[in-house]
Order: sequence, then C-alpha cells, then structure tokens
Amino acid sequence: MHPNELDPAAAGHFEQFGIGREVLDQVMRAALSLGATDCDLFFEHKVSTAVALSDSKVNRASTDVDLGLGVRARVGDQIGYAYTEDLSLPAMLRAARTAAAIARSTPGLAPVALSPLHLPSRYQVSTSWSDVGMDQRVPLVRAWEERAFSLDSRIEKVQTSLADSEKWILVVRPDGRMAEDYQPMTRAHVVCTAIDGDVRESNSYNLASRAGLEFYSDAGRIERMVQKAVERTVFLLDAGKPTAGDMPVVLAAGASGILLHEAIGHGLEADFNRKSVSIYAAKMGEKVAPDFVTVVDDGTLPGERGALNVDDEGNIPERTVLIENGVLKSYMHDEISAAHYKVNPTGSGRRESFRHHPLPRMRATYMDPGPHDPAEIIANTKRGIFATSFSNGAVQIGAGDFTFYMKTGFLIEDGKLTRPIKDVNIIGNGPKALEQVDMVGTDLTIDEGGWTCGKDGQGVPVSQGQPTVRVKSLTVGGE
Amino acid sequence: MSLLDSAGAAVELARGMGAEQVKSWISTGVEVELQQRQGKLERVHESSTLGLSVSLMVDGKYSSHGTSDLRPEALKAFLQRAVDGTRYLEQDLDRTMLPFEEMGSLDPVSLDNDDAESITKRGPQERQRAIKELEDGILAGSGDDLVSATSYLWEVRSESAAVFSNGFQATQARTHYGQGGMVTLKEPSGKLPESYSFFNASHFEDVPSVAQVSTDLWTKADEVRNTSPCPSGKYMMILDRRVASRILGAMISPMAGGNLHTGRSMYLDKLGKTLGSKAFTLVDDPTIARGMGSKPFDGDGRKARVRPLFTEGRLDTYLLDLYHARKLKMTPTTGGTSNVVMQPGSRSWQEIAKEQGRAIRVTSFLGGNSNPASGAFSLGIRGQLIENGEVVQNLSEMNVSGNLLELMASFVEASNDPWLFASYRVPTLAFEGVQFSGS
Repeated sequence: MHPNELDPAAAGHFEQFGIGREVLDQVMRAALSLGATDCDLFFEHKVSTAVALSDSKVNRASTDVDLGLGVRARVGDQIGYAYTEDLSLPAMLRAARTAAAIARSTPGLAPVALSPLHLPSRYQVSTSWSDVGMDQRVPLVRAWEERAFSLDSRIEKVQTSLADSEKWILVVRPDGRMAEDYQPMTRAHVVCTAIDGDVRESNSYNLASRAGLEFYSDAGRIERMVQKAVERTVFLLDAGKPTAGDMPVVLAAGASGILLHEAIGHGLEADFNRKSVSIYAAKMGEKVAPDFVTVVDDGTLPGERGALNVDDEGNIPERTVLIENGVLKSYMHDEISAAHYKVNPTGSGRRESFRHHPLPRMRATYMDPGPHDPAEIIANTKRGIFATSFSNGAVQIGAGDFTFYMKTGFLIEDGKLTRPIKDVNIIGNGPKALEQVDMVGTDLTIDEGGWTCGKDGQGVPVSQGQPTVRVKSLTVGGE
Repeated sequence: MSLLDSAGAAVELARGMGAEQVKSWISTGVEVELQQRQGKLERVHESSTLGLSVSLMVDGKYSSHGTSDLRPEALKAFLQRAVDGTRYLEQDLDRTMLPFEEMGSLDPVSLDNDDAESITKRGPQERQRAIKELEDGILAGSGDDLVSATSYLWEVRSESAAVFSNGFQATQARTHYGQGGMVTLKEPSGKLPESYSFFNASHFEDVPSVAQVSTDLWTKADEVRNTSPCPSGKYMMILDRRVASRILGAMISPMAGGNLHTGRSMYLDKLGKTLGSKAFTLVDDPTIARGMGSKPFDGDGRKARVRPLFTEGRLDTYLLDLYHARKLKMTPTTGGTSNVVMQPGSRSWQEIAKEQGRAIRVTSFLGGNSNPASGAFSLGIRGQLIENGEVVQNLSEMNVSGNLLELMASFVEASNDPWLFASYRVPTLAFEGVQFSGS
C-alpha cells in the first residue's frame, strides 16, 4: 500500500518513533497545564535527497533527515512555542511545558479522545521516493545535460540537479483532531551558461511538483524544461535594458503570478490584517480592481507545489476566493485570525518545519481567466514592456509597495514585440496596480516551476499563475 | 558524551562502513525569542537543538548528509545508506580533503564571541520585564500616527565540533543577543509605512540600550513618512551603512569559486586588475574580537586569516575553497567571507552629499536582483532625496539600476559612521552618477 493510501485509522507513521495515543495525550496535557486555551502538536519526519551534475559528472549527492516535534500553546492570540528533535517522552514533555509557560493559570481545557481526520488525496504518487535508488536518479540528470548541450553550440556549461523529499506530518489537537499526511515533493533544475564572443550569460529553468519518480517519465515535460533552460540563457546574450521609468507592463501568462503573490497575496494574509498593519486591512467588501479581476488562493490543485491535503494546524485547505469580480471577499486565515474575524479557517495555516509556528500563508495563488485575447493585449499597447520570466519579488505589507524582478522580456513598440530585454526590477504599489489592471487574457497558466515563499523567516512551497495581464503603469528599472 | 566525542564517533562509524574520508560536524544550540505587542507578550519561542552533518568520500566519490535523528540505530542506518548511495556517483578526487599539516584553527578565545554566561543570566520573568521595558521605551517616542508597535528580544547560543578523519579536530561556540522594534504608521493616504530597528551583538553588554533602540527606531520612522518617487535620472547615491551589504554582497558573490567555475562571474580573467575607484578598499577579517562574522577556521579546516578583497580598486583575490581552487587550477584561498570591512572616512555622509547638487540616500532595498555574470543589477529602494546636504523628500516606489563594475568604479568616498552590529562592518558609502527610476 502506498503511503498516501494509508487508512487514517490504521497505525500511523510516527508509531515507529513510539508516538502512540497515550503519549500524545500526555504531551498535550503538559502543553495545556498552565491554562492555555488551545494547543497543537506538530510531528514531522522528512527525508530529502538531491543529486547533482556539473562538469559532465554526477559527482555530488546529499541526503537529509529531519525529525522532531513542535508544540504550540495558545492563550487567545498569544503563542508559546518550543520544539525538540528528541522524540523521547521526557524531551517532548519538556518542550510542551516550555510552550505552556505562555499561560499563567490553571488547566482549563482537557484533550478529548483523538479521532483521525479523513483527508483528501491531492498528490498521487506511483513510485515513492523512498523506493528510488541513487542509481535511478543518476541517469536522469545526465540525460538532461546531454540534451542541453545538443540544443545550442553557444552553451558552455550545464549543471543539472534532481531534488526530492518525502515528508510525513502528524497534527494533533485537544479537540480530538488527528491528521497524518504524507507530502511528497520533487524539483528538477537545469542551469546553463552560454558564451558568444565576450558576452557570457547564465540562466535556468526548473520543474516542481508534489509527485514521485513518474513525474519524470513525461518526455514532453522534460524536453520543455531543457529547451526553456537553453532558450532563456541564449536569449540573454542579445538582450539589453529598457529605458527607465513609468510605463505599461504586460505580464506573460504563468509565472507572472508573482505580481499577485507580491502585490496582493501577502497583503491578504489575515495575520497582517487582524493587526491592522496591511494596506488591505480596512478594505473588505470594497471594490479594489476592475470587474474582470478574480483572484484565488487554492490549496486543492492536484500535484501543485502549493497543494495540501491538510494544513499544519489540522484544517482541510480550500479554494479561497480573495477577490471576486474586483471586490475583496476574503483573507487567508489560520486559526488565530479566523477566531478574530469569527470565520472558518481557510486551511492556510502553514509552517516551514516543526521548528516554526504556523502562520497564514499562500498556497497556489492565481487570477482567473479574463475576457481579452492575449495577442490583442500586446497589439493594444503602444509602448511598454512584455515581461516573460521572473526570478523573485518582495512587498512592504503596510505601504503596499511591491517589486518583482524580470529576468527576460521584450520591449513593446507600436503594438509589436521588438528588442529583447533582461534584468530589470519592476516596482509598484499593490492597490494602485490592482486598479490599473486594464486587460486580462483568457490564457490562465499555472507556472510549473518551484517557487518558495518567505515570511517571518520561514520558507514554504507555493504555486502561482496568471493569464496575460496588462497593468497600465509600473516603474521599470532600466537605463 | 562531548560534542567532539559524538562527532568523532560518527567519523569512526562511517569509516567502518567503507568511507575513506569523513568530515563530521555536530552542533547544538539554545535559543529564546520574545515578541511583545500592544502591552502583551505575543510570542515566546524557546528551544534547544542538536544535529549532525557529515561529508563522505567513498571510492573517490563525494556526498554530504545531515540528520536530526540521532538515535543510535537510526544514525547507523542513515550513515549506511549515505555510504551505499555514494557508490553510485562518479569519482571526483578534487573533493579530497586538505592534508592535516595544512589545517589549523585560531584560538576561539581570541575571538571573544561566546558570552555563554549571559545566556543563563536572565530567567523567563526577567526577560518578560526586559521586553516590557523595551516596549515602553519604544511607545514613549510614538505620535498620533502609530498603528502598531512590536518589540523583539532574542538570546541564542550555538556550539559545534568538527572532527575530520585525518585527525583534524576543532570546536567553536558563539552567542547572539539582540533587541529591536518595528512600528507601523498611518498616513492620510491610507498607506501604512513600516519602520524597524534591530541590533545584534555577540555579547549581552554590547546590545544598545532601550533608549538607543527607541531613538534609532523613531529616527528611521521619520524616513518612511509621506514618501513618493522623485523624477528618474542620475544622482549621487548615498548608500546607508546598514544596507550597504546588499550592494557589497552582490559585488563579492561573483568572487566565489562556485560562480567562477560555472562561468557565472563578472570577474573571470580579472584577478589583479583594477576595477573599482582608488577609494574602493575592502578587507575580509575573520579575526575581529566580538565580530559578528568572526570564525576560527574555514570550511576546509584552514586557520582563518585576514585577506584583502579589493585594494584601491584592484581585485586582490577570488574566494576559492579547496574544491573550486582545484577545479580552476588555482591556489585555494577561502570559500567565503567573514567580516567584510571598509575603513571609515573622515566626513559625515551629510558633508559628502552637501558637495553635490542632488543625491539620493538609499535607506532600504525592496526586492530586485543582480546578475553575477554580467554585473547588471536592478533593485527597488526607499530613501531620501538630498539637496545641498538637506533632506527634501522621502522616497519610495523607485528602482536603482546599473552595472556593479561601473558602480565600483564610481565609488567616491566612505563616510565616518561604520556599522558594527553585523558582519559587514562598513560605513555609509557614496557613489556618483547612479541611475534611479521613479516618477
């Protein structure tokens, strides 16, 4: 039986570490011993493997095992948090009592009998990574390198890598919830360096999914990855910089969802709003974008990096409509913010590992398709830029200022794509940029790359997507 | 069992399984973080941690591994899988470790970065009193526009031991103490700008007082109120000492062996050449007592030493660990920086800016990136427009762009205000003719 087909009522993964119901009850009671109003136990066992090729040799591999327990005790919105890598009962009780110290009264809440949650199945795995030997990984990265060199004579160096992980989590709550999930992840990466005369450039492409080894048996997917890595690298050899300043920015479908992630997504995470420090804090129910803009954060997309069967607080993630036809409809909630707003959690409580407490986080953030033909969007733009690939972004939650870094793109002149451009930062203000979205294409694409979102020192895997979108004016870094 | 004994046991275990070379590091730590907001403790995070990492050579093949599952049977199985898996890789003898004779370590005591006694000095109640005092100090400086103020306090101690199969053994320990705050302000426009101030020191006694933190925080808050972009154009850039590491780090990153080896470096074939202005001198100094980046030895087990990075604009060194030095057929130096130091100048940044008609003082960066191969960079900024040495406008929604090599050549002067609470110990820096995009 495959790990994600386990009967939730059967013996769990963590029983091999001596974690039975009696132990869970004892640790929870310790976490509640000083009067905490709620608590959660988060067990994690993660096994990661990576293999890498450089100089035409598969000459580097790594493995990591992470095992531990994080205990959170809560008094309203106050948190006591402690973790331990030692799953002996004394160590777990010590962590629980440390977390419990956030409260200073007598126990008021006692845990009820645990009942396993039945979870959806959003990541199908045929060949789990624990059944895959190093000998099966090595030929993959070698084949990707060979193909990259064959595609363009200007490619000077190629590095390829394959990383995978299997994570088991167990979330236990005093209200009886017990949720165990098996969470696979894999990521393939091809990095190329190209040289043409005196110009040398480097770029990359990657694929990621909550999947097993079978993810790499799709020849079309692999060919696309390698081709894009090569194309994006040689593209840079002839690319220049645009003129600096304000201009219309057309975002190509796919990874341009980074606009949503930075300009809107973080500002709609409910912890910032309950503290009134987000620029969207007082805008619920207001019109914040044109009618054809609907933005969603979705934990249900099968196989996506941001997909989850259960969040890290023991709630089932949902499809959360953040902005519907231009109107702000919902924030992304963890349990603390949901209690503050008196709504149900959206299954957005996530954490990097057992060493971290959960926070409201994005999962897969995207904009629904709009009414415009993507080709028309370019044709209707007299002068601007068409941004096609991106590397990173950032936002200031309160001021609403956001940036994202365009790695490749084109100038748009008189409705046509002209000169290739590269390496410019684009900056704007979230609410202003939303108002200035004036065309949304029909071509929604969820990007297939491995994005990681950072917040409060924690990184979590996310997905993002968007149709072709035009923003009337953003500030473009350039010459 | 001591950390050295534990690390040594892992070496012996892996060797017994067939690894011919083993490097083992074991680390442990304790950390306490408190966060206070609106008169109550918002978060207390307190933990101790333990982990092992090893790198192996098996039949001339290399791999690295880490685990926090240190149960004896689990560790044995983990190492066995690691050794077995390594055999499927290809040989890479450039990973062979240094001979024992070339290894060494500074006396960790000389670095004075382990204030272990202070970790136990304050109990939970005292820490809670301290963060309450910090919050009171921060709130005392606030005005009507305050939306939220959060205070932070932390104490961290980490200790590690390294044992290599050639006999090298070393230990190091360090502490971090700090406090700071973040405020969100309300503007009539509806914007909620944020400002923050954090101080980190290796000794408890070096952490600035509550009054200093509060003064610094509210001075910085003045810089984020009522911001707007100014016109695009070329300006002198006054790069604040606290954020100079963003640009200097981007200049140093292409010096790394990994980037040079893969061709992702703007410094290929430029070693020994003058690239920056005469004023541009940077040193890497791991030996500074209480320095935030000080360390007794590097990742290859080589004794740490002072190393010029740039002297009067000349690129003095690449950052080559043993592996990449061998790949590049060059002499190894060290794999990364420790404390990056630029000597302060004699004038304040205001005096430097006064000589210019207009300058932009960059106080924080927002996103952006740089290209190590070409040197192109483009970064979002916040800052201040300076005219004749006076602040005339607070700035946001702007980018600074250019090429790092050209920027290095345009460096004019270091001011007299070095920042000593981070591993980049540099003053505010002035560069001329830098492209900003705004309104």
